[in-house]
Amino acid sequence: MATNGSAPKLVNVMIDGRPAAVGAGTNVVDAAHAAGVEIPIFCHHPKLVPVGMCRMCLVEVGTPGVDPATKAPILDDEGAPVIKYFPKLMAGCTTVVSEGMHVRTGTPAVAEAREAVLEFLLTSHPLDCPVCDKGGECPLQNLTMRYGPGRSRFVWGEKFHYPKPVPVGPLIALDRERCVLCARCIRFEDEIADDQVLGFENRGRGMEIVSFSDPPLDSVFSGNTTDVCPVGALTTADFRFESRVWELESRPAVCPHCAVGCNIGYDTRHGRVLRVMPREHDAVNEIWLCDKGRFGHGFTTAEGRLTHPLVRDISGALVATTWDDALTRVAEALKRTVAEGGPAAVGGVAGATLTNEDAYAFGRFLRAVVGTNNVDHRPKVIADDSVHRFGAGADTIVHALGAGHAIVVVGLDAEAEAPVLFLSLNKARRQGAALITLSTAPQKLDRHASHLRAVPGSEATLLAALVRAALEAEYEPVDGASVPSGALPNAAVPNAAVPSAAARVLADRLADHGPAAVHGVHPVDPDAVAQAGKALASAGGVLWIYGRSAVDAGLVPLMAAYAAATGQHGRAGTGLVAVGRHANAQGVADMGLTPDRLPGHARVDDAAARERLADVWPSLPSSEPGLDAGAMLAGGVQALYVLGTDPVGDDPALDLRANGVRTLIVQDLYLTPTAAQADIVLPAQSAAERDGTFTSLLRRVQRTYAAVDPVGHARADWKVLRDLAARYGDAESFAAPSDVFDEIARAVPAYAGLSYAALGPAIRTAPTDIFLPFAPLTEARSVSYIGTRYENRHGIGAAWLTPAEATYAAGDTAAHEAVAADGGEDAFAGYAVAADDALHAAAGDDLVLIPTAILFDAGRLVASSTVLHPLVPRPFVAFSPFDALQRGLVEGGRVRVTGAGGTFEAEVVVQDGVTPGTALAPESLGIAVRAAVGGERAGRVRVEVVAAGPIERGASPTPAPRPSSSPSTTATVTPGQI
Amino acid sequence: MLDDLMHLVRGMGVTFGTMFKKPVTIAYPEVKRPVSDRFRGRHELKRYDNGLERCIGCSLCSAACPADAILVVPAENRDEERYSPGERYAAVYEINMLRCIFCGFCEEACPVDAIVLEHEYELAAYDRREMLYTKSMLLVPTAAGVGGTPQDTRGRDVPFRMGGMDYFKTPLEVKRALPAGPSSVGAGE
Ligand code: SF4
Ligand code: SF4
Ligand code: SF4
Ligand code: FES
Repeated sequence: MATNGSAPKLVNVMIDGRPAAVGAGTNVVDAAHAAGVEIPIFCHHPKLVPVGMCRMCLVEVGTPGVDPATKAPILDDEGAPVIKYFPKLMAGCTTVVSEGMHVRTGTPAVAEAREAVLEFLLTSHPLDCPVCDKGGECPLQNLTMRYGPGRSRFVWGEKFHYPKPVPVGPLIALDRERCVLCARCIRFEDEIADDQVLGFENRGRGMEIVSFSDPPLDSVFSGNTTDVCPVGALTTADFRFESRVWELESRPAVCPHCAVGCNIGYDTRHGRVLRVMPREHDAVNEIWLCDKGRFGHGFTTAEGRLTHPLVRDISGALVATTWDDALTRVAEALKRTVAEGGPAAVGGVAGATLTNEDAYAFGRFLRAVVGTNNVDHRPKVIADDSVHRFGAGADTIVHALGAGHAIVVVGLDAEAEAPVLFLSLNKARRQGAALITLSTAPQKLDRHASHLRAVPGSEATLLAALVRAALEAEYEPVDGASVPSGALPNAAVPNAAVPSAAARVLADRLADHGPAAVHGVHPVDPDAVAQAGKALASAGGVLWIYGRSAVDAGLVPLMAAYAAATGQHGRAGTGLVAVGRHANAQGVADMGLTPDRLPGHARVDDAAARERLADVWPSLPSSEPGLDAGAMLAGGVQALYVLGTDPVGDDPALDLRANGVRTLIVQDLYLTPTAAQADIVLPAQSAAERDGTFTSLLRRVQRTYAAVDPVGHARADWKVLRDLAARYGDAESFAAPSDVFDEIARAVPAYAGLSYAALGPAIRTAPTDIFLPFAPLTEARSVSYIGTRYENRHGIGAAWLTPAEATYAAGDTAAHEAVAADGGEDAFAGYAVAADDALHAAAGDDLVLIPTAILFDAGRLVASSTVLHPLVPRPFVAFSPFDALQRGLVEGGRVRVTGAGGTFEAEVVVQDGVTPGTALAPESLGIAVRAAVGGERAGRVRVEVVAAGPIERGASPTPAPRPSSSPSTTATVTPGQI
Repeated sequence: MLDDLMHLVRGMGVTFGTMFKKPVTIAYPEVKRPVSDRFRGRHELKRYDNGLERCIGCSLCSAACPADAILVVPAENRDEERYSPGERYAAVYEINMLRCIFCGFCEEACPVDAIVLEHEYELAAYDRREMLYTKSMLLVPTAAGVGGTPQDTRGRDVPFRMGGMDYFKTPLEVKRALPAGPSSVGAGE
């Protein structure tokens, strides 16, 4: 990874007679691991700062002796340095290696210390292994078997008793008897998740883990505490007593909930998914998962799922039919529409949760078989080719960035929209990366970032000020005398030394929009903008991570122009990263599910792309762009094919019939509100039922594998589309998703060379990598990760290269220079540095309502999980304390919000950090927030109080503890009876 | 010739002599031979003297079984619906008697002496499906339970808190969702 600085200094150590050279600053436990020696640990975890609490890692440590008088090393008769061992055992996790250090782990003193530590840990440990959900993958079990005394001097009756598990949070059960007080859970939440929610209470034997947040364990990463917990003290609610771990069959997959692309394993038994565990991927999720990914697996069950194709009978009711009948009807309806209104009368809208294969097959069917360019996906975050041209380097690992890097997060609530990316950003920040957030709404990331708050409607001016400040700081002092040609991506030159012509042009264009211009417009200090600009200028690499709000606000062109003009793209840690709201937002855009782009981000009239596709497709669509999703849903087409998205659910007022859609075909998991309006409904397979690939936000193409059997007669989307195409006489008969992918590799240049085999299991060379089928890694070779974790044995995928990278990697200098000279002129042309005055100064009593994202939304994917469902809040609107005071709004009260496009009622939340004059309302909570603001990113609304005081709490947003966790054996059975 | 006759008579002598000895065969099935105490026959799922099931659904029998004959699906006890002491019980417990080789490993593996191979050996059936012994077939009658539960400390003179430390605490306001602090199960308060 070409991230920052030089390689750390190496230190030579000798561990049990084995030499190892490790980086300075490594601790003895990790050094021993590198040398192939196990030092047992409980409290240490390589992802956490060592604390030295458990003493399990005691070893003998010696350093070369030095003569106190002469300061010369003491040598023995053979000239080797004499090692002086410390008189006492040292804790390996808190001892940092030094040159020439010797470590002994096999001595009687060490063995005795380990026995003693284990015996003490077990003095009050319950005899729970047979009923403990950790049993079988429990580090305490394993280390006791390996290093324990084999007997105990403490009898059962002397153990300390607590009521059996208590819900420490809504998703996590705590069994205090089993806790070994290693503080890993506390430290995970503090250090990694930045959630100060757990702590110790009391002392001595009474010490216990408590949550002091309200609601308890208020963290969307709480599931990870059960992985790092080295015992069964913390266990998950969904897996409680479901199975023993050795009975599980684990299937590798990619999380279908967001664009990060976390590697997961579906642990199944008897064809049911019982839990989701992280698979390690050092470039994606390390070893973490968010709670949505871990607990949101209810969609894999049959409950509520469509099992048969449905068609309308004479009375208009939806009735089950066969696939053959349904597909014939679909083909007939589409053919009829084309005969009447031409191919342009047909259109298709897809969701961004499809696999690449399904998305490609959808676009291929509509474009190459039906012949229409009316293809789109929603919600659309990647609408142009900015990421394709100026994307982040394919070897970018966000959590590996540190000092010398700047990361700008624009219009993205990282924790809500891409939670594990939040962890990566937080880690990069801890490692010294400059973090800048620019948005209209507050978010957790702001705590430690330079936060630039924009007023809604004028985001463009604030971003312009930031970019101008950066360019000023970077280029002004250079005198502008000689201006070399564009800085080359991948060139090993510090960017600051190469002011490119394009950067100067860009700086000039923004001359009137410097930091001073934000004064009085945005609630941010111009100096702060200038400072942030300096941080960008002085950074060796600038990574732009943006979300849907940034796209809606039209900010992408300027980010692209900056990246292009400064040559800051296509290297690790530089360039653009688009964060869609769904798992395959990048992939569906790559597959060409946009009305004006063919697969591979080429324009529909691009001659080269059309020539390429002519070889692959049976026919080509016209070279005119088609209608976008909004136009199609508004009745721009007569026959609409909706695949894996629910526009009516997002806007209940939407009536596709009234809009003029005559034939509606819906393919989905559930009978969604959109499907309820359809003529033909086709049952789709969920992510856990199909093979395929997803492309992550860092453009990493990763395979996901079927874990369970399909529900009912549900079919893979690509198969359905293949069979439909066959009804048009299309000869292409894909037999497997890999066939579809092979065609993708021919149709999309960036995917060329990729195949299922290439994305599959990585070649492993280390001798310790004995291939066991997906075994839990609590064995010796994973000592560093002791805790629950699964090794990734199914390939790490591959990130596709942007043209700048690809030409560089291919050594095609001429082509590379041509690409690198692209200063993003045309990208900038799409940028309007203007304020939307209508929004900007909300007149009178109006507020500006901003639709926001929320992690646990009311969508079916979350709602289908019994443990997550109670965490979905009731619809609410967040006001600033200032506005709340002015309008007499009280937390828990109820308001009616009326905007240009509609009205809704919701509960009042008063939240610090909201810009006065704005109000935030999460989308996807069952109310049409975005529709109320006319489908825009923000809109003026009127707020009326419906109920002033706190209304009675029905379904409390504070989750009730899981009923079955009610633990006490003494509650109804009197002591002595049981 | 006479020699030959003598051979015959001697032979018949053995035959007639045996007719008056006590026979070693028994008239099975009317008469059954007692089996040794350690005989391994049909399994039984035992109970405690208070009638609760011993099995805690830990699946260790199933893990130990060389014939993969046992299926256990665990579930959580609730106070309204309690099957075994403690937190966990077996919602499903099945032994496929056609697979079982009566090795007794399951009995060996069981941490709570719940599964025991008893002396019944007449296990024929007309239908393969009948050879899937379910939990209700394997469980002994409620009255047949023996022994106190591990949580039961009647007659045991053991201290419950270390070093006489009597430890109580006021639950913090934020912990209102949690049941109160440590208790000593079965301490008789
Ligand atoms: S935490 Fe580990 S050692 Fe403790 S009861 Fe559970 S499995 Fe056994
Ligand atoms: S709950 Fe687990 S991780 Fe937390 S302190 Fe106890 S043993 Fe350690
Ligand atoms: S006796 Fe042996 S073969 Fe039969 S169920 Fe028990 S462990 Fe399995
Ligand atoms: S003290 Fe070193 S691992 Fe706990």
